[in-house]
Amino acid sequence: MKRPALWLLGVPLLVVVMAAPLARAMIAAHATPRLQVPQGWPAPRYDFAGNPVTAAGFALGRRLFYDPILSRDGSVACGSCHQQFAAFAHLDHRVSHGIGGVNGKRNTPGLFNLAWQPDLMWDGSVHHLEMQPVAPMSNPVEMGGSLALAVDKLRRDARYPELFARAFGSPGVDSQRLLRALAQFTGTLVSADSRYDRYVQGREAFTPQEHEGLDLFRQHCAACHREPLFSDFSYRNNGLDAAPRDAGRAVISGRAEDQGRFRVPSLRNVALTAPYMHDGRYETLEQVLDHYAAGIQPSPTLDPLLAHGVPLTAGEREALLAFLDTLSDENFIHDRRFAETHD
Amino acid sequence: MKRKMNLAARRLAAAWLLLLAGCGHGAAQGGLPLRIEISHVVGDAPLQLGDSYKTAAGDVWSAERLRYYLSNFRLRRADGSWFVNPQSADSSRGYFLVDEADAASKQFQIGPLPAGTYSGIEFLVGVDATRNGAGAQTGTLDPARGMFWTWNTGYIFFQFEGHSPQSSDAEHALTWHVGGGTGAPARSVFLQFQSPVEISAENSAELHLHADLARLFDGAHVLHPATQPTAMDAAASAEVADNSAGLFRIDHVHKLPKAGLAAGL
Repeated sequence: MKRPALWLLGVPLLVVVMAAPLARAMIAAHATPRLQVPQGWPAPRYDFAGNPVTAAGFALGRRLFYDPILSRDGSVACGSCHQQFAAFAHLDHRVSHGIGGVNGKRNTPGLFNLAWQPDLMWDGSVHHLEMQPVAPMSNPVEMGGSLALAVDKLRRDARYPELFARAFGSPGVDSQRLLRALAQFTGTLVSADSRYDRYVQGREAFTPQEHEGLDLFRQHCAACHREPLFSDFSYRNNGLDAAPRDAGRAVISGRAEDQGRFRVPSLRNVALTAPYMHDGRYETLEQVLDHYAAGIQPSPTLDPLLAHGVPLTAGEREALLAFLDTLSDENFIHDRRFAETHD
Repeated sequence: MKRKMNLAARRLAAAWLLLLAGCGHGAAQGGLPLRIEISHVVGDAPLQLGDSYKTAAGDVWSAERLRYYLSNFRLRRADGSWFVNPQSADSSRGYFLVDEADAASKQFQIGPLPAGTYSGIEFLVGVDATRNGAGAQTGTLDPARGMFWTWNTGYIFFQFEGHSPQSSDAEHALTWHVGGGTGAPARSVFLQFQSPVEISAENSAELHLHADLARLFDGAHVLHPATQPTAMDAAASAEVADNSAGLFRIDHVHKLPKAGLAAGL
């Protein structure tokens, strides 16, 4: 066999160099995220060792997340209420509406950094990331179906059996594969690239006002909204009502002292996830600060840290709001790997 | 090409031989599996779904659905040591979902046991906390089977649904679901054999358990449909959970030769 001329080797190299920007764009859109622990963060709670993320598994999870096939009547997908531009919360919805337009009970939380969250939901009722989708799938005011129904629909679908086989290496659609594929998507939704993160890493500077806001945050808010995840994942009553309208954590724990307590939400992407509180009662962060300044309602389960509220001067409010804006992760909400695709 | 196939065939044969040798070795040092059969009864009579029964207090009840998990079986040897029935993390082996409406679910095997003399058996009515929080499962533990709470995720350990004229719930329904939660582990049952049970490579045994539903009402706690028509969370179902562990007794044990075990007799 005759050897090809050595110079021919240069041709593919040239093609690669010329196509690099295009290739980068394609990789950004199609690469599979891996769970990487940002510097200074604790170890994740969800262990991907039992559910290794693969390109086909992640793509299947993403497809399922955006597919209303998981609801009883094919009208509601996970992505219907978890919108990427709102950091996977539901913008402008105090509570979300499920199948048949029925309203849910609590505000749709943003979805990010779930792999670090010990329990999920406002009341901590879901104890494992893989089991999370079962709750909305079977809730009559959300997707109104059941896990068994979803598996049955997927088995009879024209495309899913092949996608499941590709994702898990053998034929078969079952609930474990469905839940694990979804966890490959939801568990790799990592938001750790806000201006705050770049500031902490020394890659970006804060304005003096943002600096002041960070100081105020650490002084008044960080006891519960603990860095770097901006939550200590405890359950607290933040004084919304003198007599809680929603028992919250007490429903799960059965303990009276948990009346009106809810999970401390992460403040990452908080400027993107309006409205606020477990029932979505506040439309703006200004209203939230008003509440903490002068709206705290005393009750037996009120968190002691809020007994005297968090009064701030007008200038301090502005600074704190400026800091909270630095928690928005623009790269996360524009990451094409997490966007709905129509492949 | 032909030579390659011969090689593959030889390798396959070698693998089979190794496998068979392995089995033979195991059987030589170990015994047979133990078969367990469960009958649901009320007192001495077989439970009939839909039939009415009376408690000691005179409450009337009927059962429409009876399902529960049994897991974490272990057998006590005569010398006080235990044989723990193997359970694997990536299958539901060792976790049994018993359903009154499904005859096949009421007969299963554990083991194989090492040859020896056994004096008693222990198991959980439900699922251990580790497995309960281990994420998506398959087989008997597939949450799509409906034995799973979605509002506070975890398995329903024991599910009894029926009716009672004394029930204050809608349509006189009686709905008792036992599940796990913090501080509410699955209840453990230990049953002593009346006489030692021998397991060898040639002979096994069938353990015939009776689960007496009368004891669900008249057990460690006396439960009244009028005051407790529903129990749907770990706190409310604590007494039902205690009683569910008291349902079981050994009706009889009989010898089961290897041939009978293999034939499913």
